Amino acid sequence: MGAAWIVYRKEMIEILRDRRTLIAIGLAALVTPIVLGVISQVATKTATQAYTIGYAGEIPTGLDILLRATNLKLVPAADPAAAAKQQVDIGVVFKSGEVDVYFDPSRQSAQIAETRLQTVLGQYDAAQAAAALRSKGIDPGILTPLQLVGHPLSSPVQAASNAFLSFFLPYILITMILTGGFSAAIDSTAGERERKTLESLLLTPAPRSRVLIGKIAAVTSISLIAAVAAIGSMFLALSQIALPGPPGSNHISLSPVAVPVMVWVALLIAVGFSSVTVALGTLAKSFRQGQAYVTPLYFITIFPASIILFIPDFNPNLAYYLIPILNAVLVLRDAIVHNAVEWPNLVVTTISLFATGALSWFAALRLFTREGLLTRS
Amino acid sequence: MAVERLGKTLGKNQVLRGISFQAQHGEIFGLLGPNGAGKTTTLRIICTLLSPDSGTVEVVGFDTRTAPEEVRRRIGVVTADIGVYPRLSARENIAYFAQLSEVPDRELRRRVDAVIERLDMGSFADQRAESLSSGQRQKVAIARAIIHDPQVLMFDEPTSNLDVLASREVREFMVESKGRGKCVIFSTHVMHDAERLCDRITILHEGRVVASGPTAEVRGNRRELEDAFLELVGVA
Repeated sequence: MGAAWIVYRKEMIEILRDRRTLIAIGLAALVTPIVLGVISQVATKTATQAYTIGYAGEIPTGLDILLRATNLKLVPAADPAAAAKQQVDIGVVFKSGEVDVYFDPSRQSAQIAETRLQTVLGQYDAAQAAAALRSKGIDPGILTPLQLVGHPLSSPVQAASNAFLSFFLPYILITMILTGGFSAAIDSTAGERERKTLESLLLTPAPRSRVLIGKIAAVTSISLIAAVAAIGSMFLALSQIALPGPPGSNHISLSPVAVPVMVWVALLIAVGFSSVTVALGTLAKSFRQGQAYVTPLYFITIFPASIILFIPDFNPNLAYYLIPILNAVLVLRDAIVHNAVEWPNLVVTTISLFATGALSWFAALRLFTREGLLTRS
Repeated sequence: MAVERLGKTLGKNQVLRGISFQAQHGEIFGLLGPNGAGKTTTLRIICTLLSPDSGTVEVVGFDTRTAPEEVRRRIGVVTADIGVYPRLSARENIAYFAQLSEVPDRELRRRVDAVIERLDMGSFADQRAESLSSGQRQKVAIARAIIHDPQVLMFDEPTSNLDVLASREVREFMVESKGRGKCVIFSTHVMHDAERLCDRITILHEGRVVASGPTAEVRGNRRELEDAFLELVGVA
């Protein structure tokens, strides 16, 4: 039996008997549906919530019906401007031929109520103008000489679903791969030194490179298990959340092209992360020190995933696909949103992530074979 | 085992300054010295964990520099740091090291069972190592060091963390190993143990050999070996 396999098997047994790792994987599987459930609840509540308008003056005929139909509740206010600061969401003063609106842009409820009011007033103005023209025997169509007719090339529901997945899925994937293997990587390196088993291990005839391969493979496996648990639970939760649209197509689903891309990218990221965390763990003298070394890695790697959130239409050239993690996020986004694989991008991403993993492995091996590994302890 | 003019510097500290000695099969060879004398560094070089800056070490005909893996196949090391894998049982700990030491799969079970019986570990062999006492852990450490039946056994302060009973068992095991024809290297600063167990000794002080030979010869006409030791390291 090869030394790498012997080490791998022993590490997996130890990891699966470690409560810290099992709790991390369990939480990964549990947290994602909870977060999605909260997001869904908040979104539903925001869309259906009623907002209050404090008003003064005479409400134009018929406008109150429109406002109530869009969940805007009218309450009289002596001073709408003052009321809009706290008591109501927005304040409105109806004058002849004019509507003054008072709202605090720092309040989200005020922004939503103001947007709804603008929409309602727009519809009211259009209806009034059309009625006036009709009474004079003029076709109201002259108000809209160019009719805009939209022809969406894909389902708007599916587009919204893809946009959501293109951010959320890479984020979950990267976070779970890193956090899933975090404890195992430190335990198999710094933990080995802290428990004083490292010297005995290095006294065996097993080549250190094989020992290292076994450890990295075990950390990679547990990272992927954590990622699969998190993503599996995410899709399970998404299957329970219905979007507006015809039944059968109103659930968030992953395109068939994105699945193999996601598996390939997850494997590359997991190997790379495992090598880096094992190398950092090898540098540490204790589990606690290992945690201090590895934790900043989380923030460094999660930053590229956030770019997609802040710049949704970020379409970089091929050179950007050389940047590890950012490339993984971009390739996944392409596959999810466009349902297609951009092969040059995927090839560059593969080379970049593979090179990162190989460099990290060599760094870990160098650290693992130097005398300082023992004399520093 | 032959150690010739061994030199080693760690950081700015010259730990070994050209030490030489030889140890034979069927004897307990004592490597004595105060803390910081260079005993552990010497043992680490012998078992290939460190490389010498100068000099050579030969174990059962293999040079530690040119054939480190062959050397590791032929040695077993027991130290004061009795670290074991806490989430593995005693048996799993031993089997893991047996596999890494290239014990054939078909012999694995028999060898592990035999060593468990030899060290009287049957009552706790299947318990997780995290629940074992220091003495029981030391037995696991000894078991993993001998599971591949090495020709050379090295004990580096093996009783320093043990109670009286467990220490006696370790000493008895060293004597038994000598009886089986093994070359036993015993590094210690406990002169009483050395005097009782060692056939020959080498005393190190500040990285140099200050005395070497049969135990009785080094002690000379002094009442105890400790008196000779203190005299040689310049304390008496």
